[in-house]
Amino acid sequence: MSKTNASSALNPKGGDDVSPQKIVILGVGNLLLSDEGVGVHVANELMKMELPSGVSVVEGGTDGFRLIDIITEADRLIVVDAVKGGASPGTIYRFNIDEVKSCPSGFKTSVHQIGILEVINLSGLIGRTPHTIVIGIEPKSLEMGMELSPEIKAKIPRIIELIKEELKHLT
Amino acid sequence: MGKKITIDPMTRIEGHLKIEVEIEDGKVKDAWSSGTMARGFEALLIGKDPRDASYVTSRFCGVCYSVHQICSARALDAAFGANVPWGGNLIRNLIMGAEYIYDHLIHFYQLSALDYIDIMAVANYTGKDRDLLAVKDKIVGLVKANDTFPLTPRYKPDEFSVRDPDMVISAVSHYIQAFKMHAKARNMGAIWGGRTPHYQNIVVGGVTSYPDINQVARFRTMLDEQKKFVEEVYIPDVLAFGTGPLWPLAKMGVGGGHYNYLAYGDFPKDQKGQNLVFPAGVIIGLDPANIKVDFLNPDDITESVKYSWYRENNPVHPYKGEQVFDLDKKDAYSFVKAPRYKNNAMEVGPMARMIIAKNPTLLDLVSKGAKPGAVARHAARAIETKLIVDACYTWLDELLTEMTKPGFKIHDTEHWDPPESGMGSGFHEAPRGALGHWVKVKNKKIDNYQCVVPSTWNASPRCENGVRGQYEESLIGVPVPDPDNPINVVRVIRSFDPCLACAVHIIDPHTNEIKKFLIE
Repeated sequence: MSKTNASSALNPKGGDDVSPQKIVILGVGNLLLSDEGVGVHVANELMKMELPSGVSVVEGGTDGFRLIDIITEADRLIVVDAVKGGASPGTIYRFNIDEVKSCPSGFKTSVHQIGILEVINLSGLIGRTPHTIVIGIEPKSLEMGMELSPEIKAKIPRIIELIKEELKHLT
Repeated sequence: MGKKITIDPMTRIEGHLKIEVEIEDGKVKDAWSSGTMARGFEALLIGKDPRDASYVTSRFCGVCYSVHQICSARALDAAFGANVPWGGNLIRNLIMGAEYIYDHLIHFYQLSALDYIDIMAVANYTGKDRDLLAVKDKIVGLVKANDTFPLTPRYKPDEFSVRDPDMVISAVSHYIQAFKMHAKARNMGAIWGGRTPHYQNIVVGGVTSYPDINQVARFRTMLDEQKKFVEEVYIPDVLAFGTGPLWPLAKMGVGGGHYNYLAYGDFPKDQKGQNLVFPAGVIIGLDPANIKVDFLNPDDITESVKYSWYRENNPVHPYKGEQVFDLDKKDAYSFVKAPRYKNNAMEVGPMARMIIAKNPTLLDLVSKGAKPGAVARHAARAIETKLIVDACYTWLDELLTEMTKPGFKIHDTEHWDPPESGMGSGFHEAPRGALGHWVKVKNKKIDNYQCVVPSTWNASPRCENGVRGQYEESLIGVPVPDPDNPINVVRVIRSFDPCLACAVHIIDPHTNEIKKFLIE
């Protein structure tokens, strides 16, 4: 389910007031709808890589409610998903989930099944909401198909670079 | 012509559903159920190695992935001629058992409970229980912060809504506990499935990894916890609501529909699969005093597309079904097809299963006056959750016994390679109801693949004969005293646990404001 690189509870920086943060990278989306699955493709790539200790990668598919324990157990969450923001395909977005909540119509009006952001919002009700960053990619195609569009596929190395930069700030 | 109201989208369900009702004299006179999102993932499978089907179909839906995986594996078992060893079937049963616990808890607490309680009553709680006071503080805090999703938006509570502060606050605390319980149930499946979501181990011929004693022990410990919750919280809640404040709704039998029921049957108790935890069968026109269950012949299933956005076609068996859209078709109003059994619209799901099983607990409630309808559907769901929990213990014991036998097997490796050609059907009683997959293999590749999912049965539009689908029929006569607050309509529809999800998971904020966050 996830690849966890947290090999020990030791804090490499020393000091006893800090325990290592649990950072979760959560790639979500539907593999059957071409670019909708970009988060899943990114997660699968990240799982092959060496990541700092305390970082785990979860491929969440299109799950909703069932990701809630993964979310509430994380200190920091990085969600990777397709985001329809209206810019040109391949555009990469980065936002803090709190910034989105204040958007006029927000995510709460989403007609989709319980979506990932709704679940993150819910996590406050049963535990705590982790500090959450969303890395979003504007899709080109949402047609049925198991391959990414070439333009989106070409962006994956850059998305991974950006995630690694996020991790540098966090670990 | 009465007043027409439309509920679009139905919320707190999985997927996209539009319900239209015509109201006359405070009651529903006619109803239309419309799946507003196209399915048709089956087309992706054509030409693929058949063994991929159980993985690809598990991506159909983010909610019920494992049910497609098992159903697909069973269709392939039939097409390949594979005999799943008992050890493999036990592990499949345990995975799907955990799925039931998860699905039914989430349906009752997360998706339905809010239809029956006035959540704001928690503010009137005057008791001293510390845990409940914490719940009160949390909810009141959220209300003050204007951040009450998903508790709101909601329909206005009506005369059937539970307002007793003690009862409401205990339900809300269970709502919160249920989150933890279904997250745990999900991990029970992952013990065998290797990961979750989208388990890895269910394949044609059985399962892929041998169990060890530690896995059995871990599953049992987690099952103990679920059993406690189901017996001490879930079932008492359903009974307290159903036979208490909701008893008038139960007696009215709101949401009954056609009283036709269908179950494929599931959860084999032995290798031959002749004894099932949930028996198969069909009931046409239920007479509760004299329940007559007919033999089910899946060859008698047809799908009509008369009112669906698919190319005109006569009703055909799913083996012959096709997915060619016709969006301009006159009179069509849904992407859902209309499955019929010998021309009858059927209900599938927990109530169908428990009536076909002649479950004594449910029949006792019925004999006391609860008509089969929305409230009875919740009761049936709770009853079968307990049956499944108990069965899981038996399967664990049997698995331990199997594991000690020489030559213990979990997979029919002889039949791993695809046949030149073949056909197979696979059935599963998914938590939401009867699920069927049909596969045709030609030149070792998939030649055709069709699924009829539970909500296709329940949410279907009309057919050639003008017979309404089960959702539509179950809405006829439902009281709607206030057209601006059709709370009984949503109670009825949600009692079926609709799943129209085709799992589009994209973040779509309905605003271009997101553009300000673009970084490159």
